[in-house]
Amino acid sequence: MMLQDGSTQLLCLTASSGVPLFSRGTSKQLPFSVIGSLNGVHMFGGGQGTVLSCCETEGGGKVIWRVFQDSVMLIAVSGGGQGGPGSSKEEVVRLQRLLENVWNCMVLVLGQDELANVRNVERLKRDLRSCFSLIDQLLEDRQEGILGSLTHCADCLLPPNPTLVQQAVDGFAQAADSEFGCLIVHGRIAAATEKWWRLAPQEVVLLSALIRFLSASGSTSCDYPVFLPHGSPTVAHRLLRFQLLPGADVCVLCGPTPSLHKAETGLVCRFWSPVVETLRECLTVGERCLPGSVSLRPDVMALLLINRETRRSVSCVKTSTHHPPGDPPLPSKSRCWELLKLFYMFSMSRYFAQEETLCVSQEERTQRGTTEDFVLGFSHQPQQCYLVTEECKSYGLQTPQHQLFLLIVPSVPTFALRTVATQTLSDIVSVTGF
Amino acid sequence: MAQVPLHGSLIVSDWHRCKDSKEYFCKILHKKRRKNFGLLESPVMPPQAAVDTVHYKIFITGKSGVGKTALAARLAGLNIPNIHHETTGIETTVAYWPVKLRESGRVLFFRLQLWDCGENALRRFDHLLPSCKEQVDAVLFLFSFTDRTSFDDLSNQITKWSGPSVSRVVKLVVGTKFDLFMHCDVAERDVRDFQATWNLPVLRTGGEVSDGLGDVAPLLNCLAENLWHQDCVTASQRFQEETVTVL
Ligand SMILES: Nc1nc2c(ncn2[C@@H]2O[C@H](COP(=O)(O)OP(=O)(O)OP(=O)(O)O)[C@@H](O)[C@H]2O)c(=O)[nH]1
Ligand SMILES: [Mg+2]
Repeated sequence: MMLQDGSTQLLCLTASSGVPLFSRGTSKQLPFSVIGSLNGVHMFGGGQGTVLSCCETEGGGKVIWRVFQDSVMLIAVSGGGQGGPGSSKEEVVRLQRLLENVWNCMVLVLGQDELANVRNVERLKRDLRSCFSLIDQLLEDRQEGILGSLTHCADCLLPPNPTLVQQAVDGFAQAADSEFGCLIVHGRIAAATEKWWRLAPQEVVLLSALIRFLSASGSTSCDYPVFLPHGSPTVAHRLLRFQLLPGADVCVLCGPTPSLHKAETGLVCRFWSPVVETLRECLTVGERCLPGSVSLRPDVMALLLINRETRRSVSCVKTSTHHPPGDPPLPSKSRCWELLKLFYMFSMSRYFAQEETLCVSQEERTQRGTTEDFVLGFSHQPQQCYLVTEECKSYGLQTPQHQLFLLIVPSVPTFALRTVATQTLSDIVSVTGF
Repeated sequence: MAQVPLHGSLIVSDWHRCKDSKEYFCKILHKKRRKNFGLLESPVMPPQAAVDTVHYKIFITGKSGVGKTALAARLAGLNIPNIHHETTGIETTVAYWPVKLRESGRVLFFRLQLWDCGENALRRFDHLLPSCKEQVDAVLFLFSFTDRTSFDDLSNQITKWSGPSVSRVVKLVVGTKFDLFMHCDVAERDVRDFQATWNLPVLRTGGEVSDGLGDVAPLLNCLAENLWHQDCVTASQRFQEETVTVL
């Protein structure tokens, strides 16, 4: 394969004529002839009445195709290889999610009309450049502890004093003539209006990514035109964002009023000055995502908890874990995040049912067919699964309401994993009501 | 055309180098870097040394890629993006800057809110420009030393800001990428001619950020001085008008 191990390249072409629109990802670009062939082989399939959606190379590389709105084709190519992120099934899930997220990004910035009815290819090429910052962020997927682009669940932080921040968000949004408001702390949603949660899960995740990106630049406030890929793909709304404290941003989705200037000078201090200490407390929750009142068992290294109904998630990696002296060292923090993602993809691609509320693509569904065949081979739906490796033990647990994924120190006996998991779940849910 | 104050006539230039400025500048620094303030925060002086803060809105305009976002980041002491990602809406950045008035010796904190809007976004969405112009106090016209067309287009841009409704808006010109002299496309003489024609201050920026204050001080001081001057002019005009109506 021509790509480095583990790297991903993204190609975008017009679906009808295969004109390259852009490519992002690794610094070493694929040669033009290869891009042409990738497009050609997909077109050939089309001519034969088949949809080519995925293929694997001998070296473990993968190619995923997908056409959106009969207008734009996205191709993801991943290098695979030894250092590649996980086995083939997991990688395919990741790449399919990636293509969907990239398309949503393009709609978010440019709107569906411009993408679906290409009149002037040169102009589209130029306009697409404005999507690169978000697309690059998706490709790099750098921020530790943010799993939303993978899980399509909103990364959340559970504040110690939820009622106060909820009231402030609701009041602020209302005063800004908006039904959609949210408070983001350390890149995770700490509170949001009811309507914000009614946006499509991918939109919530995508908006969070945009807000994280804007917030990371350190700017004070923003007025960004955004299209909602599912809710409003052809009419732009205004995303207003205000940095209350470094690391804490409040956002609202508005119509033509109020202006950024008016909202900032008239509303921000009125609603947020009274709760500034509460905001500081939220900030100290930090990457743990859970308030101090939740105590986790010492043998838990990392967790991802998903609420299947509300499509929200909390996740954390603990820095100090119980560890007997003399045992081999535990995996580093960044390795734990990686293992958590891999275990999530492992469980989802093999055992657990994915949420059908998601707007899943036809291709993804076909792909998933093979998983479902496998799952259907059992007489019951698997509710728990575990995996023991040299680095750690992992346990997945599914209830009608939740999915929990845990990394546990290797010294815990395997038969005790289930107890650790069920106890962790009930500890968190009983204290926070998540 | 509005009178431009003589450089250093109203405020102490290079004040950040003086000893007596230290207690003020340390309020905008944190671990030797510029401090990032959220909207609910501001530099706080001890009660006995409290100073007033004056607020201004500054709009940065110029072609896509000239360096508007980079300049805003530089002036506020944030990380400067090293690759060009188009700004797809309005982003504002706040820079606090302590200033000592020459005559009275009074110290003020200038709160300069820089409004940066991507040029392509401005073209795609009609509502952005009016929002940037609302209650604006100053405009920075940017050109890049490596892009001749951006320099040639300045006159056009400035003309758009010359009506009576915007006569009180402070105007400055900033040449970016001055560090890339190997690719310089705008001669020093052209800049001098331009300055003579328009009677506007032209500042230069670019290169590595050194100590966080020295490289931005000339621009921030110049901006503060012009804004303060405009405020004084406006106040005295209003005073005259009021006196006339009373008479
Ligand atoms: N060497 C050098 N590079 C600069 C300077 N100013 C900006 N750049 C680079 O020029 C590119 C474009 O700068 P931006 O600030 O993003 O451009 P912009 O004016 O905001 O562009 P739009 O948002 O598209 O309107 C970036 O890669 C910057 O790193 C400078 O003074 N010196
Ligand atoms: Mg910009």
